[in-house]
Amino acid sequence: MRVSIPHMGHLYIPLKAMFQRLGIDYVIPPVNSQRTLSLGSRYSPEGLCIPFKMTLGNMIESAEMGANAVLMPGGYGICRLGYYTRVQEQILHNLGYDFEVIQIGVSDRKFFGAMDMLKRVSNNAPWHRILSAFRFALAKLSTVDQIEQMTQKVRPVELVQGTANQLYAKAVHAIDNTDDYDTLKRTKADYLRQLNEVVKNKQARPLVVGITGEFYVVLEPFSSFDIERELGKLGVEVRRATYISGWTKFSYFLNPFGINEKSRIHKAARPYLKRDIGGDGWESVGEKVLHAKEYDGLIHLAPFTCMPEIIAENIMPSTKEQIPVLTILCDEQIAKAGVLTRLEAFVDLLERKRRKQNNVLRVTA
Amino acid sequence: MRTYLGIDVGSVTTKLALLDESDELISYVYLLTQGRPIDAVQQGLREIKEQLPPDVDISGVATTGSARYLAGVIVGADLVKNEITTHAVAALHYYPDVQTIIEIGGQDSKLTVVRDGIAIDFAMNTVCAAGTGSFLDHQALRLDMSIQELSQQALTSQAPVRIAGRCTVFAESDMVHKQQMGYRVEDILYGLCQALVRNYLGNVGLGKELESPIIFQGGVAFNEAIVRAFREELDTDVIVPIHHEVMGAIGAALMVHEETATSDIISQFKGFEQSEVKYRASSFECKACPNRCEVAEISHDGQTLARWGGRCDMWERVPGTQLHPSEESK
Repeated sequence: MRVSIPHMGHLYIPLKAMFQRLGIDYVIPPVNSQRTLSLGSRYSPEGLCIPFKMTLGNMIESAEMGANAVLMPGGYGICRLGYYTRVQEQILHNLGYDFEVIQIGVSDRKFFGAMDMLKRVSNNAPWHRILSAFRFALAKLSTVDQIEQMTQKVRPVELVQGTANQLYAKAVHAIDNTDDYDTLKRTKADYLRQLNEVVKNKQARPLVVGITGEFYVVLEPFSSFDIERELGKLGVEVRRATYISGWTKFSYFLNPFGINEKSRIHKAARPYLKRDIGGDGWESVGEKVLHAKEYDGLIHLAPFTCMPEIIAENIMPSTKEQIPVLTILCDEQIAKAGVLTRLEAFVDLLERKRRKQNNVLRVTA
Repeated sequence: MRTYLGIDVGSVTTKLALLDESDELISYVYLLTQGRPIDAVQQGLREIKEQLPPDVDISGVATTGSARYLAGVIVGADLVKNEITTHAVAALHYYPDVQTIIEIGGQDSKLTVVRDGIAIDFAMNTVCAAGTGSFLDHQALRLDMSIQELSQQALTSQAPVRIAGRCTVFAESDMVHKQQMGYRVEDILYGLCQALVRNYLGNVGLGKELESPIIFQGGVAFNEAIVRAFREELDTDVIVPIHHEVMGAIGAALMVHEETATSDIISQFKGFEQSEVKYRASSFECKACPNRCEVAEISHDGQTLARWGGRCDMWERVPGTQLHPSEESK
């Protein structure tokens, strides 16, 4: 079996590390590109969401590279995503690929389900090796996430635009190439220091914009028009609550013990939405309520036709906690130029609001 | 006399507005873009120059609209601003107590919510352009009448027909169907206007509080039948500013005035001679990665002035910066 994975941000780094440590035959498909999306869209039902289309594109591209299996999240109780593994497998069969879509459960037995799956794809590797590979993968994941968080802070205030992005790209590459904890630790310290030393505009007081919405589009920059980088160019600091390492930590290790990082978010959402509506809709509403004071604005990313996020979008304007929200639908038919115009206008709105509140703005009337 | 020039190059029309030191509109130009934004800007510059009093000095230029970057390079803009912001700024300038700004242009429709003189929220059509100016234009053409005639005829309607307005193609089928059934043209036309208004309120206006005073601007505000439909649907007055079609350009001029007022920056304006310079716009497909971005460039005398359109920063070039090292390998 030659295993592959769909892309979602830098998720390929920990998974690749795990495959290598377990001696699994694997393929990492090319990074997400217009080709990935075009391939995925061509063979997908039109009304499905961009996560389906992108991941299907990844699967086709990895099949072209000789893969015959892919790991893909699925299960009940989430949203349509629960069925995607089965539908995608059927589509790949119809296209003539002898391809298995292996489901990683995201509903129950998360940790043990993942262990069973690894046991299987590693041809029965001993448990201690599986656990050790899993642990190393988590270490890599949390390292990339920390570097990314630092990059988000540096981007809006760097004097030479693009420096943080370049460092981030280098760091991701370096982390991907480490084989042991020592090198990983040194790489992390090295890049955190370099990011710290980037020449910054000391006077800058960047606007803070939160990013919330559906998990995949929040984490996969290609699907959401590289929105974090674009905001960085406009001098805006991006904050988001969703990182893969955080999600893994909670859903694999802490949720079974009743510890839920989302309970705070759910509590905040409850006056407006009492229950889970699938996907990340409940969280989107909660994040608006929770961070209304802390952020200058909120960007809500939703895949086109995503039911949970459409519900969230329509509840958001009615909350008592007011903060400007810009909902951006992510779809293969939406042009980036239009999204950038809206982003610019949104940032202008936040900036003028802040300047007026500080009475800096000359009253034009 | 110090003046400020705003240039709004939209999908359908190009607008130029010139303001004096006290933000009074001195002159303006409104012309069709006709898919040739460079020509339209140059033509606009020529026309505005003819209208100018002799002692005018351009102290700041701003561009806006979908061709704002292109226009900015040609004229040497001091400020390049998106059209959503410029429209809001202009509306607030003329109507300081406005609470809602409705704006419908050639291909997009927007809603800006204002409270206490601050724009606090906006919405814009995202996945569909039903109900914008281009569709009305198309329908007028199909019925072989001018857009003004369409508006005047619709206003005479006594018993409007309900038209399905969610999608422009289906709206057209529905209109054809109603025509074949023998309904009166004016009733169908006014029904169409009502459908567009319903579509706007249901899409762009969804979940927003539309409080008066409400301002309606953009090219479609020329259409009195649409204005009437808005008034009826919202059951309140809807104000159409006198210069509603050039509000974007006025807003741009106001903003560049505001920017230059607090600093001693000398305008980058390249002068009215720009209207005679030959620019070359071209594009190529970048083959560096599978994204195959269409990169557009604008050049003059074999020199690249600006370049954009890539997903990454590889070709991105704004005036005054160094060429990317990969330039030679093109």
